[in-house]
Amino acid sequence: MNIPLEYILVLSSSLFVIGAAGVILKKNIIVVLMSIEIMLNAANINLVAFSTYYGDTTGQVFALFSIGVAAAEVAVALAILLNLNKQKKTVDIDEINLLRW
Amino acid sequence: MSILEYAWLIPVLPLLAFVIVGFLGGKMKDNGAIVAVIGVGGAMVLALWTAFEVLTTGVVYKPESMEWVVLSSDYSMEMGVYIDSVAAMMLIVVSFIAFLVVVYSTAYMHDQGKRQRRYFTEICLFVGVMLGLVLANNFLQMFIFWELVGLCSYLLIGFWFERPAAARAAKKAFLVTRVGDVMLMIGLFLLFTEFHSLNYELIWGNLTTADQTTLAFAGFFLFGGAIGKSAQFPLHDWLPDAMEGPTTVSALIHAATMVNAGVYLTARAFPIIATSADVSLFVAAIGGITAFIAATMALCAPKIKGVLAYSTVSQLGYMILALGTGAFLWNQGHHEAGSLAFGAGLFHLMNHAFFKGQLFLGAGSVIHYVGTEELSKMGGLGKYMKVTSITMLISCISIAGIPFFSGFWSKDEILAMTFEATDVNLWFLLLWIMGVATAFMTAFYMFRMWFMAFKGEPGEGTKHVIEHGGHHHEAPIAMLLPLVILAALAFGSWLSLFIGDGFYSVINVEGEFHALSIIERLEEVFSSPLTWVSIAMAGGGIALAYYTFNKRRISAENVVSKGFPKAMRQLLLDRYKFPVAYDKIGYVGVYGFSLLLDKFDRYVIDGIVNGISKFLIKAGGVVRKSQTGFVQNYTTLLLLGVSLIIVLLYVVGALR
Amino acid sequence: MLENIPILSLLLLFPLVGALVTFFVKDQKKAKITALVFSAIPLILSLLMLTEYVQNYGPYQFEETYSWIGSLGIQYMLGVDGISVPMVFLSTLLVFLAIIFSWDIDHRTNQYMALLLVLELGVLGVFMSLDYFLFYIFWEVVLIPMYFLISVWGGPRKSYAAIKFFIYTHIASLVMLLGIFALYFEAGSYNGGNYSFSMEVINSVSPMFGATFQAIVFGALFFGFAVKMPMFPFHTWLPDAHVEAPTAGSVLLAGLLLKMGSYGIIRVAFPALPSGAQDWQWVMVVLAIASIVYGAVMCLAQKDLKKMVAYSSISHMGIVLLGFATFTEIGIAAGVFQMFSHGLITAVLFMMCGIMQHKAGTRNIPRLGGLAAKMPYAAAFMMIGFMASLGLPGMVGFVAEFSVFTATYDAFGWLLLIPVISVAITAAYYIWAMQRVLFGPVTTEIDTAHLHDVNWYEALPLAVLCGFIVLFGMFPQLIMGYITPAIEGIVTLLGVI
Repeated sequence: MNIPLEYILVLSSSLFVIGAAGVILKKNIIVVLMSIEIMLNAANINLVAFSTYYGDTTGQVFALFSIGVAAAEVAVALAILLNLNKQKKTVDIDEINLLRW
Repeated sequence: MSILEYAWLIPVLPLLAFVIVGFLGGKMKDNGAIVAVIGVGGAMVLALWTAFEVLTTGVVYKPESMEWVVLSSDYSMEMGVYIDSVAAMMLIVVSFIAFLVVVYSTAYMHDQGKRQRRYFTEICLFVGVMLGLVLANNFLQMFIFWELVGLCSYLLIGFWFERPAAARAAKKAFLVTRVGDVMLMIGLFLLFTEFHSLNYELIWGNLTTADQTTLAFAGFFLFGGAIGKSAQFPLHDWLPDAMEGPTTVSALIHAATMVNAGVYLTARAFPIIATSADVSLFVAAIGGITAFIAATMALCAPKIKGVLAYSTVSQLGYMILALGTGAFLWNQGHHEAGSLAFGAGLFHLMNHAFFKGQLFLGAGSVIHYVGTEELSKMGGLGKYMKVTSITMLISCISIAGIPFFSGFWSKDEILAMTFEATDVNLWFLLLWIMGVATAFMTAFYMFRMWFMAFKGEPGEGTKHVIEHGGHHHEAPIAMLLPLVILAALAFGSWLSLFIGDGFYSVINVEGEFHALSIIERLEEVFSSPLTWVSIAMAGGGIALAYYTFNKRRISAENVVSKGFPKAMRQLLLDRYKFPVAYDKIGYVGVYGFSLLLDKFDRYVIDGIVNGISKFLIKAGGVVRKSQTGFVQNYTTLLLLGVSLIIVLLYVVGALR
Repeated sequence: MLENIPILSLLLLFPLVGALVTFFVKDQKKAKITALVFSAIPLILSLLMLTEYVQNYGPYQFEETYSWIGSLGIQYMLGVDGISVPMVFLSTLLVFLAIIFSWDIDHRTNQYMALLLVLELGVLGVFMSLDYFLFYIFWEVVLIPMYFLISVWGGPRKSYAAIKFFIYTHIASLVMLLGIFALYFEAGSYNGGNYSFSMEVINSVSPMFGATFQAIVFGALFFGFAVKMPMFPFHTWLPDAHVEAPTAGSVLLAGLLLKMGSYGIIRVAFPALPSGAQDWQWVMVVLAIASIVYGAVMCLAQKDLKKMVAYSSISHMGIVLLGFATFTEIGIAAGVFQMFSHGLITAVLFMMCGIMQHKAGTRNIPRLGGLAAKMPYAAAFMMIGFMASLGLPGMVGFVAEFSVFTATYDAFGWLLLIPVISVAITAAYYIWAMQRVLFGPVTTEIDTAHLHDVNWYEALPLAVLCGFIVLFGMFPQLIMGYITPAIEGIVTLLGVI
């Protein structure tokens, strides 16, 4: 039994929007990072869904790549955040504007 | 095998000497003097032989010219040799006087030590390029050597470069003649585009088919070159300054040879100038005006070389007057008279080269002896400098125009021809009057100079030399011999009128002449009232000078002590304010303009460039405020942007 | 003998390898010698090329073609014709002499020498590329070493001058790059989608381009080249760059980099866009004449000897452009010859400025004076340089200048009277400068007691250059023989429209 593509797209768009809202609105930088992961996963779901839909495995391969890259990215991002936290003593994203003009 | 085939060696020999002296002269004991004498002497022998060959056979030597540089499929420049009678005459004059001057220099410049090397290097270069100028078979080649003689003139005027006056004079000479050269260049561009060649014969042969307006302009601009080089009004003012160079240089370059290049050019351009009556009249007028005003300036010149310099300008004016008159007469169809005037101009060139070269070398001898150039400090030198004073007297008589001295024959002919042209155009009457007045002034100032230097009470300089033991003899033989030889020629070069068919049978425009025997010529000359007018003028001038400066019957000081004569004298000493005018144009006009332009460049053009960069920096300062550093701002904008694009794509898709 | 040797690639290879090797030679002395050797080899190669080149054969010679980025139609394609041969010779000669002249550099010598060699690589590449993309790459390669030469070894305002130089010329080259891309796509569409950067391919279809397209793209290319030449009013980077640059930098900047601009016009802009060139003819003429006269008048006002020489370059490059803009064979050929002669002459002039700076400690003309007595050899070289630059016959500048003016009269008639004024002004500023620097009493403004004449490493390059100036002045056919046959093709192209 096949789940219709639309259902999956609705799911992934919802996830994406939730993630985007989190990135924009949340003050805690860890939460922002988690929201980014949600957005990534929304994209991954799309990749897998279309891959199945077209019967082409390239999408799934890309999804795997994407998960791998995301893992690496999280590792780097968390390391940066830890350092940042050490220096700034905060996880509030509004406090951090080091790359300001 | 004819000697003519080796004619190309004539300029090469001095140039070879130039290279040898230039590179090795410092190692030679005599600083290259002997090499220079050999180089120039060899050129003289070859040149005289060549000239003899050309003049006796009457054949124009014109070998195939070689291609110098191919500029494009339709333009190329050539190099070649062209020796007709005019070139042959110039060869004689230039090479002979150059040789005498170089010999004279070996003694005259002896006290210059190591510097002689530079002197002889530059003199050899000059002689080489001057001979090259004469031998050229096209205007371009002539122009090349023309510029190079200008360079040598510049270098030699500035020989004592540590003297500010010499450095200034050299600069002035170069720049003023350069103005003329620009005119000459324009003339060459006109001819080059019209004929696609600058070969003399090719141009002369195609004059009738060419565009007449272009030719008239070409003639005008070519003559512009002569105005600069031959120190004609209004570019004459560099020549008096050029006297800052060694006297030998003045004799060779600024009296006998280089300044004649302008006349030579006018002679070469004669057929072109003669295509237009207006240009011909212009040439004649410039010559007449120059002759007149230069003579007036010579009247009260304080320095011996100054008198000679003004006199040179004045005499060059005569030559130009002759050529202009000739061109005018030719243009009006009077071919025989035109040809005669042409010949007279060149005859005067030759005579003038001899007597003026002699006078300058004599002046050199005087300055060498007395150690000053001021005429007022000389006086009474005749007793101590017999050879110099007598030889200079001969030249003075010759230039004054006393019968049977060479200057008489040519000057009289020029005036006669000018008068003849009065029949066609009344302006020539004015020119004739100016010419006659000039003749009077010439006689006066030459004898003023001679009397002031050699007669009367000994002046300061003379006394100084005598009191300090003096020189026992006036000058070494190497200096006296050229004086004597040139004086002999200053008297005797008129005999060339009667060798064979005579001077005018050889030097003319395309064989338009009829030969006169001595008797016929004497009859013709002395039966004309005009001749007596010029003789009277010459005699009057000499007499006036005699009573003023020898007998002291008339006090020159009283005459010029007040009123108009005083103001006039000051104006003449100021050279009609020409130097001031040149400086005004140069420093105030051109240099002032350049300073203004410099401000424009700095503040306007560069201001715009820097302004753009300043604007960008400022604008960046404003725009960068949008970089808040808050990640969430960026993200929001990003998402909004993406949404906008999606919406737009949708709308566009819907509209299609 | 040379048929099988890729001589042009070798010409590029040796400076490249030389630059790398020199960069890693830490010893100062050895670095100089290494650089000298690696610049001598290209010089010998270019001399070989001069002898092997067949003069009366129109098309490119010693051609080498390899596909580089095939999918985009970019080739590594080299070749020379009569226009580039003299330029290649000039480049190798000037770099070699500049390295000798820089013998007294003791600050980061290895880097300095390496940069000179990189510069040589870039300039030679520009003069030999037959592919627009390759041309652009070499064009940009030239900028970098020159930027560092000015900004590291330069005078007091070096960073201002270096940045101004870089940004100004870089903007120009970007505009030029846009033009090249436009050519690429337009030519590709005419070639049935067969896109290529090859000059031959693009030029073969160029006469078919639409008139508007040609006019716009020619404008872009011309802007790029005019800044580089530089033409009034885009010239202000040049005096600043020259004043601050080290001597060798100035020599190469004026001697070679400016030539790239004019070379681009004749190699790129004219053949690719003949009708565009026609549309822009009057602009070129006006800018050329303005540069000639403006540059000359500006020279009069300058107090800094080097700035004067820099402005004289603007004036003399204006003569090049004026020659090109006549669209006549004689004008273009003379323009190319003027490029060559200006390269030789200006090198002498900038070396003299360097000597003045080095020996007398100042280039300020009013503070100098009477130096002919103190340094006769330097004075002689300076005089030769000045005289050559003011167009004295018998020296290399004369024939070119004379022919350009002839062509000007041929093409535009009495308009000639404006640029020809510069002949007198040029004489005026040189002669006046000479009077103030060399003649008169010895100056008291500076300490002249220890003023020495030129050293061997200064005299040698000057002597070689002066020798060439006189040699090619007396026998201009030696160079014109290469140039003239190559011009005919370009004129035919221009005449077609």
